[in-house]
Amino acid sequence: MYRTDGNTADIEFLYRQHGPALLLFAQTVTGERGRAQDAVHQVFLKVIEKGNLNQVGDKKAYLFACVRNAALNEGKLRNRNAPLDPNAAWFGPPDRDYAGEQNLRRALQSLPDDQRQVMVLHVWGDMTFSQISNLLNLSSNTVASRYRYALAKLRDSMFAKENSCANS
Amino acid sequence: MPTLDDEQFKAYLKQFRPLVPDPLPAAGSRHRVRRTFVLGAWAATAAAILVLVALTLHHLTNRAPVAETVGNVGNPEHLQASQPLTMRSANALMARALSFKAMVDDMAFRSQTAPLPKDKRSAIAVLGKEKIKL
Repeated sequence: MYRTDGNTADIEFLYRQHGPALLLFAQTVTGERGRAQDAVHQVFLKVIEKGNLNQVGDKKAYLFACVRNAALNEGKLRNRNAPLDPNAAWFGPPDRDYAGEQNLRRALQSLPDDQRQVMVLHVWGDMTFSQISNLLNLSSNTVASRYRYALAKLRDSMFAKENSCANS
Repeated sequence: MPTLDDEQFKAYLKQFRPLVPDPLPAAGSRHRVRRTFVLGAWAATAAAILVLVALTLHHLTNRAPVAETVGNVGNPEHLQASQPLTMRSANALMARALSFKAMVDDMAFRSQTAPLPKDKRSAIAVLGKEKIKL
């Protein structure tokens, strides 16, 4: 039985607010949308059931940490590393730029896992380097450097492809 | 495409919005329960209104023949051959008949013309067939 008080409404608000970024982050960990969604749902249902989110200071960082743990545990249970699904969309593209969405997704998929996670957490999760360092148990400098590397690779990958398409 | 610095490129990337996950199962089921309850309440109200209307109509249609029959008591012209023989119709026939014999004959012929259900027999017909020793 789930609680249906104001606490649940707060959690549903958090789900609407951070759900997309959490799902994207879980996808970078699990490699597949269905499993990522299971992980996000599992976390929120547990939070609703326990009703202890009010005691948490940084709710967003807490949720990202829970989703990461759930996704990693789920991966361990399945005992396999699924490759990223190349066909499933990750983003709603601006101005129906589906080619741009595919370009971005492929560029993200080409990044190493650790750089991709930092990239997603910082850009779409709006998390600071300090929050990410706490989440991933890394130093802030390491996080910042991974982000810079990832950003440069992503830019090269996306615009090199676009320029090569334009030149051909 | 012009070369973007880090902040511009980040802003460009943020234009791509991550897809929204499916609704939470608990929230979805709660909404379903609430919707089902509302629909059920409406259905129950509609059914109650229909039952009330049906009961009212049934009550009105049952009262009308009684009033009509009560109003026609004593008026033998309204007695039809298809109506069953009752004390009231017998009294009406007696009041109208010229003699007792004529009244009995009228009653007998009336009961013969009235169609009886399959599982019932006319008492007059049965008595007519029996040999009664006096």
